Amino acid sequence: MSFPILSLLILTPLIGALTLSLSNSAQLKNKTIFASGLWIATGEFILSLLLPIFYDKAENGYQFTEFHTWFDKFDINYYLGVDGVSIPLILLTTFLVPICLLCSWNSIQNRVKEFVIYFLLLESFIIGVFVSIDLVIFYVFFEAVLIPMFLIIGIWGGENRLYATFKFFLYTLAGSVLMLLAIIYIISITNTGNIEIISKFIFDENIQLILFLCFFASFAVKVPMFPFHTWLPDAHVQAPTSGSVILAGVLLKLGAYGFMRLSIPFFEFASYYFQPLIFSLSCIAIVYTSIVALRQTDMKKMIAYSSVAHMGFVTIGIFTLTQDGMNGAYFQMISHGIVSAALFLIVGVVYERHHTRMISDYSGVTNIMPKYSFFFMVFMLSSVGLPGTSGFVGEFLVIMSTISVNVYLTIFTAVGVILGASYMLLLYKNVNFGDVKSDIKKLTDLTTIEIFYFTCLAFLTILLGIYPKLLFDMIDASISIGIL
Amino acid sequence: MIDFYSFAPEIFLLTLILISITLGVLNKDATITINTTGFSLLIIFLIFKGHSLYQNSLFSLNTINLILLSKIILSIGSIVFILLSRRSLKNENLFRYEYILFILFAILGSFVLISSDNFLTAFIGLELQSLSLYLMAAFNTKNLNSNEAGIKYFSLGALSSGFLLFGISMIYFDTASFTFQNLANFSTISEVGLALVLIALFFKVSAAPFHIWTPDVYEGSPTISALFFASLPKFASLIFLFRIYHELNISKIDSLNYIFQLVCAISLLVGVYGAITQKVIKRLLAFSSINHIGFILLAIMSYQYMSEGTIFFYLIIYLVTIFGVFSVILNLRTSEGEITLLTGLNGLKASSRSKAISMLVFLFSLAGIPPFAGFFAKFFILSASINEGLYLLSVIAVISSVIAAFYYLSVIKNMFFNESENELLLDNSKLSSFIFIFSALVLTLFFFYPDPLINLIDSLFY
Repeated sequence: MSFPILSLLILTPLIGALTLSLSNSAQLKNKTIFASGLWIATGEFILSLLLPIFYDKAENGYQFTEFHTWFDKFDINYYLGVDGVSIPLILLTTFLVPICLLCSWNSIQNRVKEFVIYFLLLESFIIGVFVSIDLVIFYVFFEAVLIPMFLIIGIWGGENRLYATFKFFLYTLAGSVLMLLAIIYIISITNTGNIEIISKFIFDENIQLILFLCFFASFAVKVPMFPFHTWLPDAHVQAPTSGSVILAGVLLKLGAYGFMRLSIPFFEFASYYFQPLIFSLSCIAIVYTSIVALRQTDMKKMIAYSSVAHMGFVTIGIFTLTQDGMNGAYFQMISHGIVSAALFLIVGVVYERHHTRMISDYSGVTNIMPKYSFFFMVFMLSSVGLPGTSGFVGEFLVIMSTISVNVYLTIFTAVGVILGASYMLLLYKNVNFGDVKSDIKKLTDLTTIEIFYFTCLAFLTILLGIYPKLLFDMIDASISIGIL
Repeated sequence: MIDFYSFAPEIFLLTLILISITLGVLNKDATITINTTGFSLLIIFLIFKGHSLYQNSLFSLNTINLILLSKIILSIGSIVFILLSRRSLKNENLFRYEYILFILFAILGSFVLISSDNFLTAFIGLELQSLSLYLMAAFNTKNLNSNEAGIKYFSLGALSSGFLLFGISMIYFDTASFTFQNLANFSTISEVGLALVLIALFFKVSAAPFHIWTPDVYEGSPTISALFFASLPKFASLIFLFRIYHELNISKIDSLNYIFQLVCAISLLVGVYGAITQKVIKRLLAFSSINHIGFILLAIMSYQYMSEGTIFFYLIIYLVTIFGVFSVILNLRTSEGEITLLTGLNGLKASSRSKAISMLVFLFSLAGIPPFAGFFAKFFILSASINEGLYLLSVIAVISSVIAAFYYLSVIKNMFFNESENELLLDNSKLSSFIFIFSALVLTLFFFYPDPLINLIDSLFY
């Protein structure tokens, strides 16, 4: 297909952001700016729906490819393409960005124009990561994502936002520059930045180990894996709701996507060699962060720690290096993208009304906000992994695939599931049940807009839970051929 | 018989100086017109007739192109700088025609330095350049800090000139020659001499650990002079350093190579560690320039695997960024004079959107974060150094750029997140607005479409 749909996907939000930035802000009302941003983001979502429609599942390899020379001197090109692994993540991104804009409609009052611009830029850069099949352009987008996110947390965040946003930026950057060195080394050996060609190249085993660790540093911070996860709770707690949504929903997936797209195909030997390391770190992440989450008093922090635990399942699944494990991990990624985004929105709803995130400040919310409690329950159960919701499929597949690799792993992951259920149920119980506190009574139930986006998210969760084949059809072939 | 034709650019500059001296007494503004026209003519001449200058010289074609390109860049930089300085000096009530003369003398010195083929000429060029710089540092005679900066710069600079002369005389003692081409095999005594020469040059480009003067001099001297120190003379000295590194095959001499690597590593680290705690804009920029010198030294050492292209790409991007940053800062004033502290940038986003966004571009470009040209500048250097096998230095370089990101981000934080305390008086001169918007555009454009520049540079150095 010669129609440059991928470039269009990158450029639409970019051009939207540029047009907005050139417009005269004094004359525009905040609502108009939000609405125009929303139109752009919705248009982008509709555009991205073309990808799964026209994607040919029977064909292997990258599709919708676009190739333009960037440098004559090096083989570094503007080379875009998608396969089954990238498309669902692109859809997730384009789906979440309009929701982010919708949920900030009332909560963001100052510097609205900048807010919309940074979100559109962020969307463009994230899509860029998922569609690039050249190492340098991949890195460029991977890094560029930091800039709008830095500004979003730094400008609209909570009271301790500067610390959080600096920590976020520097942690991620420190990981990424090591990857940059590895990328440069790879290009100097293979003389190309093309991911397809490098995947077929076999590196010397000792070199593989070092290069793998360099990539690992970058992706492990992004996922985040156990010792590198401390930036995440800070960033989540300080970020505005919309920032948390996009951070939990998509940015964390960049790391896992990097593992699947780059680390494993490039360094097969090293992937097997470091399997135990990654398994142990992930097990610690699952059990340890679940226990930490149990003791949290701040709702957002609890969900942030639960994110680390859930992403632990993803890394375990990916590094079982089996088809089932990968499928499960990927499913878990998408499911976590929807569910954790929804949970942050849930917290955002009460925070906007009551201006506190402390669990102890809430009690008996279900009597005052019945619709809210309903949606909270749907997402809580999905996060716990109740059969019939999307959370179940991913966790089930990952746990199943670990049996063939290592039984102890199964035990740890299963414990993680139980702990996950306990803290989520505890959170739900404390917030929704019990006596109605007097200052809770003034809260109002969900507005139409909120019901609208929660319905969309709940629908997707249940759809994927009941009919997971929808996603597996898309990714199966790409995972078995492209990655393993 | 002396081939005067090959000095044509220098003689032309000297004529320009003589005209400026006479004319300046009568009409200060006329000197500016004369000099910009003169430099424009010089650029045209160098572009079209440059090669004929060095027909009879012993330089290789590569060196000739290197010299010509550097001179063209210096001339373009001088035009921009002369125009910028007029406005800035008038704001400070310092507009005297001598300043223009100092610029011309410094540029003349740089020209001589770049195209010298022996140590004596190089020394003359370097001294001519440095003496003008000392005067430019102390130009604000009523300000004690400026005087202090000038004296500090002069006394330390004189010491380094002493090193240089001593080194040169040791080389002469050993080889009985000043010319680069005749220095093939080194004995220990020439190595020591060369080490002294290198140290003097490191001092001039403010590589650590010979950098102590830099922050003080930048802070004390008028902002416009600090821009000059950071840009054109440094560029010329780096080009000269590059030339002697390769024409004397320093990479083959282990002891000197160690010095080079050590200085490179220390510059990378001192640059960033020094900058973290700084509260004064110019001191921060001084330390950040030390870090960039580290990168350029890395590029010089890994020359074999790339070409002059890497170094020129980095230097051009660096010059563009520095000019951009300073033209923003020169434009910002409060009722008490020009801003010096980083907190003075607070709330810049609210008072001037274009300045804040341009600064954002410059700082991210200096930090080497895509999507700005600074990323590729660093990318090329790192890929050259990895090819060369300088792994440790490459790792130090990237670690330093992570730390550097921290202080660039804090400047951005001041501009975007903080509320301003003092009312900023924006001095919207059209010229400097043009310069920083143009620089920001160039930095973005070169990222997406760097091929023309790279190909242009590469075509000069086969």
